[in-house]
Amino acid sequence: MSIDTSSKQRAQDVDVVEAPRTSGQAIWPIVMMREIVVKLRDRNFVVGTLVTLLLLAGGLAFQAFMSGKSNEVTVAVSGEGARQVMQQVGDSAPQRGDDLVLTVSDAADPAAVDAAVRDGKADVGLVHGTDGWRLVGKTDVKSSMTSAVTESVRDRTLATNAQSAGTTVAVLTAGGTVTTQLLEPDSNEGLKIAVGLIFAFLFYFASIMFGMAIATSVVEEKQSRVVEILVSAVPLRQLLAGKVLGNTLLALGQMVLFVGVGLVGMAFTSYAPQIGLVAASAGWFLVFFVAGFAALACLWAVAGSLATRSEDLQSTTPVLTTILMVAMFVGLFGEGTVRVVGSYLPVVSAISMPQRLLAGEAAWWEPILSLLVTLAFAAWTMVIGERLYRRSILNTGRRLGVREALKVEA
Amino acid sequence: MLETRGLTRLFGDIRAVDAVDLTVRPGGLTGFVGGNGAGKTTTMRMIMGILEPTAGEVLWRGRPASRDDRARFGYMPEERGLYPKQPVLFQLVYLGRLHGMSARAARRSGHEYLERFGLADRANDTLESLSLGNQQRVQIAAAVMASPIALILDEPFSGLDPDAVDAMADLMREQAARGVPVLFSSHQLDLVERICDDLVVLSSGRVVAGGKVEDLRHRGRTLHRLVVASGPSGATADAGWVRDVPGVAVVDVDGPVAVLELVAADASDRLLREALRRGSVRELSTIVPSLSEIYREVTA
Repeated sequence: MSIDTSSKQRAQDVDVVEAPRTSGQAIWPIVMMREIVVKLRDRNFVVGTLVTLLLLAGGLAFQAFMSGKSNEVTVAVSGEGARQVMQQVGDSAPQRGDDLVLTVSDAADPAAVDAAVRDGKADVGLVHGTDGWRLVGKTDVKSSMTSAVTESVRDRTLATNAQSAGTTVAVLTAGGTVTTQLLEPDSNEGLKIAVGLIFAFLFYFASIMFGMAIATSVVEEKQSRVVEILVSAVPLRQLLAGKVLGNTLLALGQMVLFVGVGLVGMAFTSYAPQIGLVAASAGWFLVFFVAGFAALACLWAVAGSLATRSEDLQSTTPVLTTILMVAMFVGLFGEGTVRVVGSYLPVVSAISMPQRLLAGEAAWWEPILSLLVTLAFAAWTMVIGERLYRRSILNTGRRLGVREALKVEA
Repeated sequence: MLETRGLTRLFGDIRAVDAVDLTVRPGGLTGFVGGNGAGKTTTMRMIMGILEPTAGEVLWRGRPASRDDRARFGYMPEERGLYPKQPVLFQLVYLGRLHGMSARAARRSGHEYLERFGLADRANDTLESLSLGNQQRVQIAAAVMASPIALILDEPFSGLDPDAVDAMADLMREQAARGVPVLFSSHQLDLVERICDDLVVLSSGRVVAGGKVEDLRHRGRTLHRLVVASGPSGATADAGWVRDVPGVAVVDVDGPVAVLELVAADASDRLLREALRRGSVRELSTIVPSLSEIYREVTA
């Protein structure tokens, strides 16, 4: 043995490290950081997140490209008044909600118009000849173009004929005006439904993904027996808290990333004016996401601790995935009273309340009350979850049922 | 000093551990032996606070061991336990930090042990990519890297090749030399005999023998062996005459070899005089029972 020379030195080392660590020293941040680092080193997770981001950015870029690209149409005209008719079609485009931008060029004769359209030099041709007006297209002419040109020609003809009859268009059309009145104008209905749907799916998928991450992390420690070392070193509550917080932060981080990229991307699309509306509800969505996720987080850990091998998760997690699925359906399709009640039910509220906020149905205090309900529920699941986790985590023999776990002596 | 007092654990109606008192002296290696199911692992788990005792307590330096005390114990569980898919150094640092080390100290200590075990170049490989022997080395590194105040090792030698056994024994002696109590369980009695200072024998949940190995060897009667050679007559040596020497209780005689107990104080002198008168003496020695023999005796 050659330890004698160094034993004195080592004994001193012992004294130094043996400084008693204060009771209740927070270990959960170490556990939390490990959860986060392990996940960030997991290639599947990183690649999955990046691919989702790319798809999101790609989709938005496509939208932006489509809305940025105005509907440019080149027109070849021939004959008296043809240019004026087309100019009027171009000028009145915004009124019709059409993003048409016209480039009008004069052609020498009707044949030249046909040739220009046939060669692709012009998209559309308009010819005014002795036999009337002729709209020329290569394979087809957009119906919006046809109706716009028809209307413009009619207006022009009407004005000319009225003049020669010694009257005016105004006199002729007096009393024949139809106005449109919208009782609930511009409510962005489609956008709200789409955003609500996206939030619901984000909550559902992220909850399952990070919930499974918690369950897997727990069962891995149980399966590899490292939990014996952990339990002897760390209070169970801190171990559980670290795991739950780590994954909640990861989930929140991923959501913020997705929602952030979504909002920034939206600014480049034609939905830019509605960005304020979406951003406000996205903020609420993130708050409810965290609360809804936290409400189930400890139960995911329990699902992990009831299993003895990763494969067992297939039989211990369906309860939770079912809860989430029901929550998503109620949240998405619940109407009237169901929707109002749902917006106060923990987990369901993570989908229902942001939707009610988006629709402007909820008073200012409603989300706060709903949030408090969810947080109270989360606190309760944490107490129950910790108890079950404590009882089942060291039981490595076989898979346990919840009822059995409650009976196990710690 | 690590002690247990009346430590008891019931699983249903089964007394897995029954009123176990044991003392693990600092600076020594205490071997914990017993058959399968004798209750060694259950006892160690209770010492580590992983399992609640049904009755009894674990004392550290004379007072009930607290959670903070136990967090400073080094532990190597029977079925081992590390993260198979995580890099070696990464998990050593994590475990070191859970045991109260700073990140830097944990990193340094982890590096030192990996270097010592010749695994420095595998620091960033996943644990499962290492051979079983090397995984075991990482496991013991995890137990000792935080300079624990006590070591509880459940079957530290199982699955090790002879070289690794020696390295493990050296490491354990080194830890004991730091002045910490080391308790280890093992099936391999020859190994326990070679390295441990104290011994606790557990049978069906009860301590059936315990104390310094030397004391255990000499509990019960001390036997001697006498081997004689033939005298000048050239006749075949026979030690049968020992039966007639006063103060000597004979256990067995087989030709020139006699196993006997020296009952009277001066019996050895008388025995030797008689032997020399009859011929010559090859050997008169104390029979030291092997640990296996002690074990068989106390667990019988």
